[in-house]
Amino acid sequence: MEDNKIEEIVAIALSETESSDNSDQLQEIRNRYLSKKSELMSLMSNLGELSIEKRKEFGQKLNAAKAKISEVINAKQEELKKRELAARLAKEEIDISLPSYQTLPGGKNPFHVIIDEMTDIFLGMGFEVEDGPEVEQDLYNFELLNIPHDHPARDMQDTFYISDSLLLRTHTSPVQAHAMEKAQGKPVRIICPGKTYRRDDDDATHSHQFGQIEGLVIDKNINIGHLKATLELFAKKMFGEKREIRLRPSYFPFTEPSVEVDITCANCDGKGCSMCKGTGYIEVLGGGMVHPNVLKMNGYDPEEYSGFAFGIGIERVAILRYGIDDIRKFYQNDVRFLHQYRKKA
Amino acid sequence: MLVSLRELKKYVNLEGLTAEEIAEGLTFAGIEVEEVTTLASGTNLTIGHILECENHPDSDHLHILQVDLGKYGVEQIVCGAPNARKGLKVIVSRVGAKLPGGEIKASTIRGVSSNGMCCSLLELGVDSKYLSPEQTKGIEELPEDAPIGIDNVLEYLGLDDQILNLKVLANRPDLLSLYNVAREVGAIFEREVKIPTYIVKADFNTELKVGSLTDKCTQFSGREINNIVIKESPKFIQNALRSMGVRSINNIVDIGNYVMLLTGQPLHMYDKDKLPAHNLFAESEYEGSFVALDEKTYDIVKGDIVICSDHKPMCLGGVMGSLECAVDASSKNIYIEAASFDGASIRHTSSRLGLSSESSQRFVKGTNHFQAEDVINFATYLIKEYCDAKSVSNIVTYQSEAKPDLTLKCSVSKINNRLGTSFSKEEVKKALSRLNFEVKFVDDDNFVSVTPSYRLDVTCDADLSEEVIRLLGFDFVPSILPELNVKVGALSAKQKRLRNIREYLLSQGVDECLTYSLVSKKNADKFNLLNSEEKYQLLNPLTDEREIFRSHIAYSLLESANFNVSRQVKDLQLFECANIVTKSSRSEHLSIVLVGNKLLREQMEKRPVNFFDLKGLVEGIFTILGIESSRYKFERFVSEKEELHPGKSAKIIFQNNCIGVFGELHPNALAEFDFGKLPVLLLEMNLDSLLEAKVSVNKMQPISRFPTVSRDLAFVVDKKVAASEIIKAIKMIGKGIVKEVNIFDVYEGINIIGNRKSVAINITLGSDHTLTDKEIVDTMDKIKFELNKKFDIELRM
Repeated sequence: MEDNKIEEIVAIALSETESSDNSDQLQEIRNRYLSKKSELMSLMSNLGELSIEKRKEFGQKLNAAKAKISEVINAKQEELKKRELAARLAKEEIDISLPSYQTLPGGKNPFHVIIDEMTDIFLGMGFEVEDGPEVEQDLYNFELLNIPHDHPARDMQDTFYISDSLLLRTHTSPVQAHAMEKAQGKPVRIICPGKTYRRDDDDATHSHQFGQIEGLVIDKNINIGHLKATLELFAKKMFGEKREIRLRPSYFPFTEPSVEVDITCANCDGKGCSMCKGTGYIEVLGGGMVHPNVLKMNGYDPEEYSGFAFGIGIERVAILRYGIDDIRKFYQNDVRFLHQYRKKA
Repeated sequence: MLVSLRELKKYVNLEGLTAEEIAEGLTFAGIEVEEVTTLASGTNLTIGHILECENHPDSDHLHILQVDLGKYGVEQIVCGAPNARKGLKVIVSRVGAKLPGGEIKASTIRGVSSNGMCCSLLELGVDSKYLSPEQTKGIEELPEDAPIGIDNVLEYLGLDDQILNLKVLANRPDLLSLYNVAREVGAIFEREVKIPTYIVKADFNTELKVGSLTDKCTQFSGREINNIVIKESPKFIQNALRSMGVRSINNIVDIGNYVMLLTGQPLHMYDKDKLPAHNLFAESEYEGSFVALDEKTYDIVKGDIVICSDHKPMCLGGVMGSLECAVDASSKNIYIEAASFDGASIRHTSSRLGLSSESSQRFVKGTNHFQAEDVINFATYLIKEYCDAKSVSNIVTYQSEAKPDLTLKCSVSKINNRLGTSFSKEEVKKALSRLNFEVKFVDDDNFVSVTPSYRLDVTCDADLSEEVIRLLGFDFVPSILPELNVKVGALSAKQKRLRNIREYLLSQGVDECLTYSLVSKKNADKFNLLNSEEKYQLLNPLTDEREIFRSHIAYSLLESANFNVSRQVKDLQLFECANIVTKSSRSEHLSIVLVGNKLLREQMEKRPVNFFDLKGLVEGIFTILGIESSRYKFERFVSEKEELHPGKSAKIIFQNNCIGVFGELHPNALAEFDFGKLPVLLLEMNLDSLLEAKVSVNKMQPISRFPTVSRDLAFVVDKKVAASEIIKAIKMIGKGIVKEVNIFDVYEGINIIGNRKSVAINITLGSDHTLTDKEIVDTMDKIKFELNKKFDIELRM
């Protein structure tokens, strides 16, 4: 009779366990069937009335029943725990497309992007970086560059003067004179990026302030082939390995021979397009062999030393590379423009 | 310089060369051709004779014409030109004609059919500057003998020409002469060049005396020509002038211009009978006023070159003649002048008076000082032919400078060394000879060269190398990187630090800007937070907006911020590094502007920017440069100007100097911008001392293997006691044991009475052993005791 009772209790316990669906309910079941006060345990108190034989047998049955119930409840508990965790995790799902915590780098004005990149290219070729004053003496801006007082290239119209002898430099070339003065007749290999000023009304293609990078190499046995190769290397690094350059004769008072340097148009690969006006080439910089008078005036013997120099327009390079359509954009600092230049080269 | 191919052809054989080929040849020889244009264009053109001209019944200005087109029959054309009339010979573009403005189609105009158009020269594409006002208002009126029905109308009109627009660089003023362009083209294409020379015999000796009282005129030649007749120029001169961009006036003026265009030497003519005396002298000391040809009065100042007769000004040399002795329709006898003037003086005079002409531009760029007599002879020849001059005098000449030595010594090896080429002796000789240099070799390498007299620019052997390479082409120059001593190309320490600062700010999300160095006088002193010294001012600014070389960046950067805010972009972090030059110093500055919100998570999480954002950037800069916080400090910024908030601004003190100022904008300073209620933070900093500061190498600090202990302390203290003072004091009190002190809360509010605040601090204790409880308690007690003594604190826990 008691045996039946045990089986009955086990059956009910197992069925209740089976149908329970949360840990609290399961705990209740566990209490009901396995705690000291449970029905099963109360059967235990009846053991004393039984014979030793019977007691042993009944005890074993009771223990087996208890173990069975416990096992099933534990299994259920495991299952419920898993299910509850899964439910919790599912509930905790987030929209991973929402914005992140991120400090985006600032945008670098393309003017500076070009300066920094060009600087790195020339540093790699063993150049050093010089800087010179933006408020410059007439002597350095003109005289020492073979542009004497009555020279037609010195049109008052183009220069911002502060006094008769002081002006805003009209090009970065005066740094050539400073660098030669500093080098005291020794070889020179420098670039100088910087701001320059000319008396121009601002519009889409003109700016009273603009940037240049000056380059100067002075050593023994320098010839124009060296200038060509140096600028070719620069053009490929700056505009891509497919770029070729072409030299055209030109005139600057401080170089002889002087050249304009054209680079094959990156837009059409030199085939001719609207950007290069059908010529396949785009003019990007000027240069030449340092004029013997400039060497002489700055303390070098032109019979012993020679050199080349070049000047590159910073905005011009940026405009070509990025397709910027108005030079004033460099100076307005619209952050929607600046943020287009966050990319590290 | 506009070069007419039709005129050029007269002096150099251009057979088989197209305008484009010539342009390319010139460009690659260093003479850039900016564009090739046609003077006029049009197909299906012919000449017609207006047989009938009736008014259009439905128009107050249209005419209905019956035009005889010779072999093309008679066409009805509706024409609106006021000068259309019966009997006139006109240019007609027939149906299907392509003109610069479009195609001519048969049409019906207000009910009347029209087959073709009567044209003005404007409609054929001729620039209005070459046309008289009458020519621009109506159709072109052709002479009575114009042949009707012809096809070669442009040729008949002298408009069948292509024009090269040469960009003449400062070293080649000789190319402002068609003759010299012909020589150049001849050299480039190895073509025959024929420049005519004229000698006109003198009929008598003139009384004219010429000379110069100034070194600004080194040469002056004159001749007297009598009994001229002023009339229209011959067609060939008119056509040549039009092609080269000069309007025809009358025969004598046109001859002067024609000779100048061909030879590059400007001429001036005086009415001999109106001169006060038979002398013409250049002076440069004259002061006074002068009524010029254009009937305006100009001031003459010392330094202007003036041609005087009996010390009375007759001409502003190279710029403009006087009205008093101008050649006009009634002139009979003239003096003709060909002189050489100092270019710089002419430039000053012409720019001061705003008078620039073909003549003045040639003087400014430089003329050949040794061709005056040839030029006068050429002009005289034309004047005799086309002004019917009866007699001409001898030429009188003043010349104060000796002919320059045109010989240069050079060598093939020097040329090759400069160019990196390997040209032979023969190649060099041939190239130079093509350019009319006379080359004589003294040995296998060295030679002597004589420069042609018109090449003012060739003065040294480097110039000769340029001549060779521009003629032969830069394709001969091999591209070889120089073999130089190996050298580490690197930024200087200072340059590297500046770049690190910029990269740091960029990494913190601050945008790098670029603003103009020139500012207006009105704004030059606004936000001059560091009180930079005296600023440079331009003598010749273009506008008031750009007059002063700025002494600080802050104002310019605020303007950039304002630009963005006015375009509805209101959350900004901007910086700029720039070199600042004042009368007493040159230094590297940094400015930062923060506006609006700091976006932590785009627009989802953000907070207004505040003082501590900017302070953080400043501290970050010190940190990345390796300058410990003990080496600099912040002090309250006191200023009389209402530019920064007095309670939310600071000075940066480094090496006992104030190197920077930053803080929130003063509410009263916001007014001139569009910032509204947005918070705006501003910094101006002189970076020089940071870029040069000594920084030691980071020696590794051992990290203690004993555990540290953390204790909190909260107390109420007077509001004026700075957090930094409390931290400093705790570090002093617990020296050796206190490792770190961090403020984690500051509270001022209802529960705190009086002018006091509650401060909560976390203190980290540690040592070279595990601290005992007693050590910890003793240290904390000592800290509490000393703080109380120093700051009158009231413990809260």
